[in-house]
Amino acid sequence: MKIIACIKQVPDTTEVKVDPKTHTLIRDGVPSILNPYDHFAVEESVRIKDQIAEVSVTVITMGPEQARSALMRCLALGADDAVLISDKKFAGSDTWATAYTLSLAIKKIGKFDIVFCGQQAIDGDTAQVGPELAQQLGIPQITYVEKVEIDEKLKLTIHKQTEEGYQILETKPPVLLALLPPTSFQPEHPPMSSILKAKKKPFKVWDAKTLGGDESKFGLDGSYTQVIKTYTPPTRGECEFIEKDDIKQAAKKLSEILLKHEALIKR
Amino acid sequence: MVDYRFSEEQELFRESMKEFCKSEIVPKTEKLANVRRMPEEIIKALAKFELLGMVIDPEYGGLGTDVVTAGIAAEELARADPSCAIPVLFLVGTSWGHTIDKYGTEEAKKEILPKAIKGEQIIGIATTESDIGSDLGSMKTKISKKGNKYVINGEKMYISGVAEAMEYGGGHVTLAKMTPEKGTRGMCLFYLPLKGTKGITPTYVEDIGREAISCGGFDIKNVEISNHYLLGEENKGFYYVHEGYELARGLIALVCVGAASKALENGIAYIKERKAFGRHIGKYEGIQFKLAENYVRIQALRELAYKALWTYDQEIQGKASRFEVSMAIAMAKSVASIWACEAINDVMQWQGAFGYTKECEDQKAWRGVRSFTLAEGSTEIMKLIIARELLGKEFLAYR
Repeated sequence: MKIIACIKQVPDTTEVKVDPKTHTLIRDGVPSILNPYDHFAVEESVRIKDQIAEVSVTVITMGPEQARSALMRCLALGADDAVLISDKKFAGSDTWATAYTLSLAIKKIGKFDIVFCGQQAIDGDTAQVGPELAQQLGIPQITYVEKVEIDEKLKLTIHKQTEEGYQILETKPPVLLALLPPTSFQPEHPPMSSILKAKKKPFKVWDAKTLGGDESKFGLDGSYTQVIKTYTPPTRGECEFIEKDDIKQAAKKLSEILLKHEALIKR
Repeated sequence: MVDYRFSEEQELFRESMKEFCKSEIVPKTEKLANVRRMPEEIIKALAKFELLGMVIDPEYGGLGTDVVTAGIAAEELARADPSCAIPVLFLVGTSWGHTIDKYGTEEAKKEILPKAIKGEQIIGIATTESDIGSDLGSMKTKISKKGNKYVINGEKMYISGVAEAMEYGGGHVTLAKMTPEKGTRGMCLFYLPLKGTKGITPTYVEDIGREAISCGGFDIKNVEISNHYLLGEENKGFYYVHEGYELARGLIALVCVGAASKALENGIAYIKERKAFGRHIGKYEGIQFKLAENYVRIQALRELAYKALWTYDQEIQGKASRFEVSMAIAMAKSVASIWACEAINDVMQWQGAFGYTKECEDQKAWRGVRSFTLAEGSTEIMKLIIARELLGKEFLAYR
């Protein structure tokens, strides 16, 4: 069985600060990390590999040369080989152009059974690349996946998070799964022995020419959307603290305020 | 121009090391005040992350990494635990594990190293005595041969990890005189198991810092050990012990870098928030000059320390001489504790009265780093080594 895990290197948003004047993100000097959602997806891929015989995990990303370190980390986590899709022609890709480029790489890899993605990346938070990639590959997709079980006949049992709880779904490959880690998820830190092994694993770099495809669909040219500006909206409105010793009194006061602002409707 | 970059593996290791420290070490450091013994869970966590014995031959369970990579671990551990207790456990085990790996008998290596690497036993170093530190030639502890065993009598003092070795298991690489008339050329280095060894009586003292690792000593009365615990050849122990000390000194320099860097980060955050006389105190030149001076010193120390460990690696590969290593290591260690202490002291000063309280995190770092003007070779001895290399052996002091 072949698993392909799509990952992204992102700025560590816990380190990103906001310029107080322009409200834009200050990215200078911010360390890059493996997107935590993707980290979970890679760990799940490797868990399945360890569980079922003859499974290989290929990890891919589209990004600059620096993204190599994120792929190396995935290899240290247990993936078998890695592909870095890198070319200046891919610069400025929106989610659709990214999904198109990834789909070409996956088709070039050949036969696959499951594509794992993180639900979203912590820099853009769009959650669009996974579903768009499934569309481009022409395979079904399941999003908000917290847990994947698989049996010897490759029947997949999926635990999908919903606002009310979980949906338990069954499916068969090929399928794309967009993974959302549970709050209890503790990312693994690969020790030095795994890092040393990672260095010996196959690592390929593919450019636009290697991928083939329609170049007008790459990068900025292939993008339907463009990010003009990223900023934190200024704080609006006023904050009122309800200070009551009696919780019932506090609740009553809160309901009065909500009714007054029509956030609650009295029946 | 020289390429100063770390290798890709080393960069990945540092990244993983930072995450390990953030999730596994930092939360545990809150419980380390005044415990005087390294909690077993921390030793196990270090072992699980393969930090114990990382430079040791894979045949005995190690990773066989270079010592620069061990330096990265030392630096990051000190950022996570600026009190320096955990870094000391790491650097002592690494340095003396390396010595056993290099000079130990096959039987001793198979017996000691796998357990140390798994965190089941600890490895320490015991050369100092109550009134003998730098002047090793005057030590009183003696070792003599008795059939296929050795008999040891004497005492060791101001030693790290005695309680841990007595309780969890393990022992100390120990130096003693075999042929007193030959002075330093009549010494033996050997492994002395502590737990359960008849004739060993431990004593303990309280260091002012590094509160999570024990400090003490042990009386050695007619202790018999098997001859397979001898490291290298008889009467060459003084030479071997310096190789171990030099690795430890290089790692210490990076422990000082890690602890001081963390303090400077704390200080930068503080002076950007704290106001006095209507302005953030970070806007005053008096603060800025100190910040810049300390930052430059710690960066310079970092370069010296990694260069020293790189030279140590070069020697292992046969590309550098013993004396080049001694010089490089001594240069880094001679300023490490002093510069780090001054940087941390300034950060404490910026914090006013709070800086002198036990709630101030940086005072723990100061108390820990202060130990390294003495531990593993005093600052003064480092200067003598540098002068020896500059002037020639004929100018060696105290000969």
